[in-house]
Amino acid sequence: MRDRFAPGTRLRVLVADENPRRGRALSEALHADASLDVLTVPPGTALIDAVRDYGPDVVLVDMNRADRDALDSIRALSRSALERPVALFVDEDDVELMETAFDTGICSYNVLEALPRDVKPLLRAAIALYARFRRTRDELSEAQRVLAERGIIEQAKRCFMKNEKTSEAQAYRWLQRRAMQTSRRIVAVAEAYLAAQKKDEAS
Amino acid sequence: MNTPLRIGVLKLADSAPVIMGQQKGIFARHGLETGVVVSPSWANIADGLAWNRLDAAVIFAPLAMMTALGRRGHDTGVRPFGRISRGGNTIMLRGTNPVAGVWKAGSRGRQAFECWRTAIGRRPRIAVVHMYSTHLLILRRFLERIDVSMENEIDLSVMPPTDMITALAENAIDGGCVGPPWGTEAEQLGLAFRVGGSATVLPGHIEKILVASGRLLSCETTARRLSAAMHEALAFCQQPGHREEITHVLAAPVADGGLTLPMEATRAILPGGDAAECLAFTGGSLLPSDLDWIISDMMALGWLDNAEHRLLMRWIGPEPADPTRACAGPL
Repeated sequence: MRDRFAPGTRLRVLVADENPRRGRALSEALHADASLDVLTVPPGTALIDAVRDYGPDVVLVDMNRADRDALDSIRALSRSALERPVALFVDEDDVELMETAFDTGICSYNVLEALPRDVKPLLRAAIALYARFRRTRDELSEAQRVLAERGIIEQAKRCFMKNEKTSEAQAYRWLQRRAMQTSRRIVAVAEAYLAAQKKDEAS
Repeated sequence: MNTPLRIGVLKLADSAPVIMGQQKGIFARHGLETGVVVSPSWANIADGLAWNRLDAAVIFAPLAMMTALGRRGHDTGVRPFGRISRGGNTIMLRGTNPVAGVWKAGSRGRQAFECWRTAIGRRPRIAVVHMYSTHLLILRRFLERIDVSMENEIDLSVMPPTDMITALAENAIDGGCVGPPWGTEAEQLGLAFRVGGSATVLPGHIEKILVASGRLLSCETTARRLSAAMHEALAFCQQPGHREEITHVLAAPVADGGLTLPMEATRAILPGGDAAECLAFTGGSLLPSDLDWIISDMMALGWLDNAEHRLLMRWIGPEPADPTRACAGPL
């Protein structure tokens, strides 16, 4: 058995992320550290099987993985191959780091009987990357929301122009005025207008 | 109260009192601002409690106890808050049942097991939802009743209940012990048949409990309001007349406050339903007698020693009086 704490021994890190793009980005970030041997969970492979197959020292897990529960039981369920404890990596003196990790959606498991050398840089790298992905995701959903709202307003304008035989500018001014009069957002007025049209058509 | 109370649940029918408490405005009526956190795994629930990301959660007692003992890597101030549900777990196997109905104890059950094992043609792979679950303990007791050794005659695995449905369909597993409504869903889909469960092994056993963080318990007013709100929500969910309404809420998407549970199976397992294994909602404080069998089985499995047993007895009991009793933080 290799001496996991001998100088020069590479730390084996398993990245388990169901978001392949983020998993790849995290692996690439960790690959920059020559002391790490970075592995990923192949698509469709259960986390517990990957841990059994690769025997990592540390597992960085996307908290949205439902099969994280299996890791809790690896010691009790294994018969001989993996009689090592799997514990949530904890640094009692750095609760804040752990809580930040949870907030960004990642947690870290230590698969050794004793903590390997400082794992904090790994967790920090993961936190930074997850935070960046979350920002990008939030920006994307905001952009999608804006586009969807614009689409509704456009549709309402077209409908109004057809019904009232007006120009586009007039239609938009009507929606704006209605929004001001009723203290609602233009998109809410547009939605209400389209819903009323649908109702009229149905009756 | 300055911040919403975060209550963790999983996509299970046992979560109904929390979901209905939120959706029917019961929590709000009791002056509570609450947020329901639908978690993807039990590990997330346990870690959320340990790392101050949840104030309360619906959980099974073995995992709550192991979390409280710091077995998941971090000490917590988690304590039992009250009972939630009784029964409802089903033991499902794929293939064809060699006998009619549930398997009898003793040699007849053993014979049924052997017929079934021969038919599937391999050492049975049985899944539970978590190692520290009542499901595992129920499964172990069931196998003991039919003279089958859980340790030597089956391969045990852990997977989320929703994955069990897929795993049964793909023959990746041969059976599982699972909470409501997932066992009934597997049966309704024709993927598995029921051989036993809570009703055959330990009728009326305590299944889920509500646990609370030390932070919540330190805030007496919030704890009292939550207790009253849960009492009302549990009573609501136990009424058979509310089954249809609860079914629709639980079947709604998570974004709409539901749990995306399968409609027919959920309707069948709620109080008043026609499933063989219905769950019951139950209020009141958790008593040591509720957990006797769980602790005894956990000790038999070597999970707990005598010192931890004594610790757990104190853990179940009422919280020691604290004259300061001020909120430890904004809640």
